Parts: sequence; C-alpha cells; structure tokens
Amino acid sequence: MVRGISLIYGLYLLLPIALLVVGSVGGNWTNTLLPTGITGQWYLDLWQDTSFRKAFLSSLVVAMAACAINTMLALPLAYALYHGARRGGGMAARIVSAMPVAVPAITLAFGYMVVFNTDLAPWLGSMPLLIAAHAILTLPYLTNTLLTDLRHLDLGRLEQAAATLGASGWQQFTGIMLPSLRQSLLSGLVMVAAISVGEFGVSNLLTSFQNRTYPVVLLQAFYGATGFACAATVILLVLAGASALLSSSLVKARP
Amino acid sequence: MSLVLDNVSYHYPGSTHGLHEVSLDVRTGELVAVIGPSGSGKSTLLQLVSGLTTGHTGRIVFDGKDMSRTPVHERRMGMVFQSYALFPHLSVLDNVAYGLKLRKVGVTERHRRAQELLGIVGLAEYAQRGIAQLSGGQQQRVALARALAIDPLALLLDEPLSALDASVRGHLRDEIRAIQQRFGATTLLVTHDQEEALVMADRVAMLKDGRLLQIATPREIYERPASRAVAEFVGLSTILPAKVASPGRLDLGFAELAADTGTRAAGAQVHVLVRPEHMQPDPPPGSLNRLAGRTGSQRYLGALTRYDFEVPGAAKTFLAESPIPAIQAIAIAPEHIRLLDD
Repeated sequence: MVRGISLIYGLYLLLPIALLVVGSVGGNWTNTLLPTGITGQWYLDLWQDTSFRKAFLSSLVVAMAACAINTMLALPLAYALYHGARRGGGMAARIVSAMPVAVPAITLAFGYMVVFNTDLAPWLGSMPLLIAAHAILTLPYLTNTLLTDLRHLDLGRLEQAAATLGASGWQQFTGIMLPSLRQSLLSGLVMVAAISVGEFGVSNLLTSFQNRTYPVVLLQAFYGATGFACAATVILLVLAGASALLSSSLVKARP
Repeated sequence: MSLVLDNVSYHYPGSTHGLHEVSLDVRTGELVAVIGPSGSGKSTLLQLVSGLTTGHTGRIVFDGKDMSRTPVHERRMGMVFQSYALFPHLSVLDNVAYGLKLRKVGVTERHRRAQELLGIVGLAEYAQRGIAQLSGGQQQRVALARALAIDPLALLLDEPLSALDASVRGHLRDEIRAIQQRFGATTLLVTHDQEEALVMADRVAMLKDGRLLQIATPREIYERPASRAVAEFVGLSTILPAKVASPGRLDLGFAELAADTGTRAAGAQVHVLVRPEHMQPDPPPGSLNRLAGRTGSQRYLGALTRYDFEVPGAAKTFLAESPIPAIQAIAIAPEHIRLLDD
C-alpha cells in the first residue's frame, strides 16, 4: 500500500522532470509523445540568449542578497526568540514559525504593489524591493532552522556552562552560539537560496522588465520552441535541486 | 576557600517557591551534599552560589568576601551539570581548555594543563575525540576536568550522576569523590539520591520547601534525624505515632515498648522511628520489645531480604531487613528506637 502510493507519487513527480530532460535534448517535438532526434542546440541557444543570462544573474543577485540580509536578521532573531520563549514569550516564536503557512506569499506581493506604487514610495519594480520581498519570504525558514538547532543543542545549558567558566555574554554568543550554529546556518542559507531562486509568484508581480528573475523569464520561453523551454527549465531545476541536496546533506552531517 | 551562606532567601517571581533564610557553611576541602525532594530548592541554592540566578537576599561569602554582587563569569565556580553541557563544536581537549582560553592562557600551556586533567579523570587518550563519540560517563568526566581546569574557588555539582546508568553511577561516584579529595576542592553536591549523598559527603544538608531542616554528618543524619521529614527522606524506616506512657515506656496503641524517653513527660505525643536493619527476626520468647505477627510481602535482595512484618492492630506494617525473614515475631532493641518530637 505505502509502496504503491510512493510509486504513484514518484511517477507524478519524476515523469514531468524526465520529460523535461528528454525534451531539452530533443530535436523536434510537436504533437508526438516523445521528441525526435538529439541535439545540444537548445542549451547553446539558451547560453546565447542575453535575456536569460541576465535573468540568471538577477536571480543569483537576489538570492545572495536575501541570504546576506537573512543572516544578519535571523541569527539575532532566533537567539532572541529562543531566550524569549524560555521566559514565556513563546507567542512571537509561534508567529514566526506559522508565518509561511498562514500568510500566502501572493498576499505579500499584492500588499507591496499597493504600498510601493504610490508617489510617496514609488519603488515597485526596483531591485531593492524585490530583494526585500525575497528576504522576508525566506526569513522564517532560516529562523526556524536555527531555532530548532538551538533547542536541540539545549543552548541555554551550554551558555550557563560557558558563563561559569568565565565567558561574558558576548563571549558566549561568539564563542559558543555562533560556532555551534555553523552547520544549521549554512544549511538554512542554502535552503533560502533554493527557495529564492525558484520563487515565481511574488517575483512575477514585483519585478520590472530589467530585473526579471529566472523563473519569470522562463514563463516567456514557453511561448517559443518547446526544446528551448525544456532546456531553460532543466537549468533552473539543476540549480534549485543542487541547493536542496546540499542543504539536506549538511543537515544530515550533524552528529 | 570556605563557603558560607548567610541567611539566604530567594523567591521565584510570582510564586512562594524558592529559599527561605538558609544558612550553611562548607569548610575548605569539604564536600557538602544538599538533598531534598524535587521543589525543595536545592537546585536554586546551587544556582545562587554559581551566580547563574541572582536576586537573593542574604550573603554568599567566600573566604570572607561577599560574592553576591559578583557576576557569574567572574565568580570562578567550577560547575558540573546533570546534562554534561559540553560544547559540541569543540574537541574533548578544547572543552577542558575552554576556561583557560578565556583567561588568556597560551595555547601550549592550556593544552598541557587540559591534557594533565584528562589524565586524572582517566581520559588521556580521548583528547582529540569529538564529544559525540563519548559515553555519558566519559562526558561527565570531561565536564569535571573542564570545571577543575579553571582552578575553581569551589566545585558545584548539580545532579552529576542522575543521567547515567546505574552500573556507571557507582563507579563514577567513587571517582568523583577521590578526585575531589585529591584537589581538596570545597564542594557543594546537589542530588535527589540520598544514598549518593550518604556515600560521598562529609556532611549532608537536607532541604524541604526551601528551608534547611538539618545539616550533619551522614552517620548523624541517618541515625539521629532531627525531624520526621529528614527521617522519611534519608534511608528506609518505619515511623509510627506513639505516646509516652511513663518514663522509659511508649504506648503505640497496639503494644507497649521500652525505649529511652529522655526528659519527655508522660502523655507526650511523639513518633517512633525504627530502621529496617534493627528489626531482629524471631527473637527468643520473652525478649524485650517482642512483637508477634506475620511476614507479608518479601523482596529478595541477595545478601538480605526486605519484608513487611504485620503486627495485629498496628496501623501499618513494619519494614524489616535480615538474611532470613521473621516467621512469627520481631524485636526492637530499645537503643534502636529513635523518638521524633514533631
């Protein structure tokens, strides 16, 4: 039973991906089950298409910037939430954990469209706004990863031990907390990057023509040749997939 | 390095729990075990001495200096936690050397010192291992070495053996005691295990509901407990209400016993305390303080059998221990009957 469901699930998940990969190297694919001929032409076209290269770069910039901002926000945030929750302020921690589920990303985008389309703040379509949206969207994921690790490590106890050995508050933070969180910070950031690179809905609503991210440009590709669209999708898949794999292997590596 | 608690009180915000006017002293090189049921305030006491919890009234004095206002990281207390609390990102050696690093001791010297301490706790070959590769008992030895490395004013042991398997516990108990004596460390040990306290401590302090009930040597606290609460917590016993019938005679309702009643007047209400090893099985007929009855449930312990002895009319059974359980009677020598006034 479980095996059967897994098989069906796997088929639904993997079949489209397999078809994309086949399509990306297929010569001609119209009104048939499988394409005919083998070619590397689509990847070459993709490489030469400036709008895709630009979008790829934009996506990387947005993802890296979101990672940098989230590192600065999530570390102190998780730290404060951990200690706050122990003192009975667990509500804030629950709100942060529930946010990605309770607030659909699309509402965030519509809110931004209303607020930042005014004369007072005419920043709709700008790069900083897009980065801010990605950072806010991914912040709970990173914060949760860190928070889980803090609880798992029983950081409060480690800090107490460090304090009795002579560590000041700052020395506890830099000498105990930061190094203990190295791995979960890294894996959390890879997850942030993966989510940011694959994010479509919010990006599509908030970008201008110049700053389009990869998934937004990708949609345009499907109006053209199928093989080209497949190749472009495979690139995105490889990027996001590699990030996710890296992230989960980092989590597993934890002793 | 004597430690004196002078009239220390602490209240958890919004509750009546805490400590109430606790005064005790730990002499240089002495190990005082603090025991008590959960919620008695024994862990709070240790937290206050370490400086991890602040906001008490009264004084906490080391060698004549009141440390109450000294922040935790400047107090130099070597603390060992129940959960070991070793730093997972550091090797065994660096864990032990951590306190020395904070004190700006050079890397060669601090590693030499840490290695030496690891040798003392029997883990010299484990210096380069990660923490996760050690068993619980080994981790607690590392924690002890780490606490000793800072040359602490006092050692504070917070339930150090509670997380360990019984087989490891007895061994490590003896080892901690030996190392404590070797270093002459002034030590406070918090434990809920009264047997551990009796075995390890020079003196035992019993707390209940945040108050110090008694502080005395293990022998004294076992043989001459100051109150019913102490008697009930330390060791096994049978405790029954009684009345002084006349000097030297106790009326238990179902029997009369000969006992030293001291200066108590006839009619005084007391409790009788008898330890299980002092119940003599099947004494010769006519023996003093002989109680006839029958043996109830038995627990075979190897060298001894622990059993409940039922005496007709008694409100509860007598807990007894002997190589062979009694069949029809037990006797309690008068010198083994201890009277408690509360």
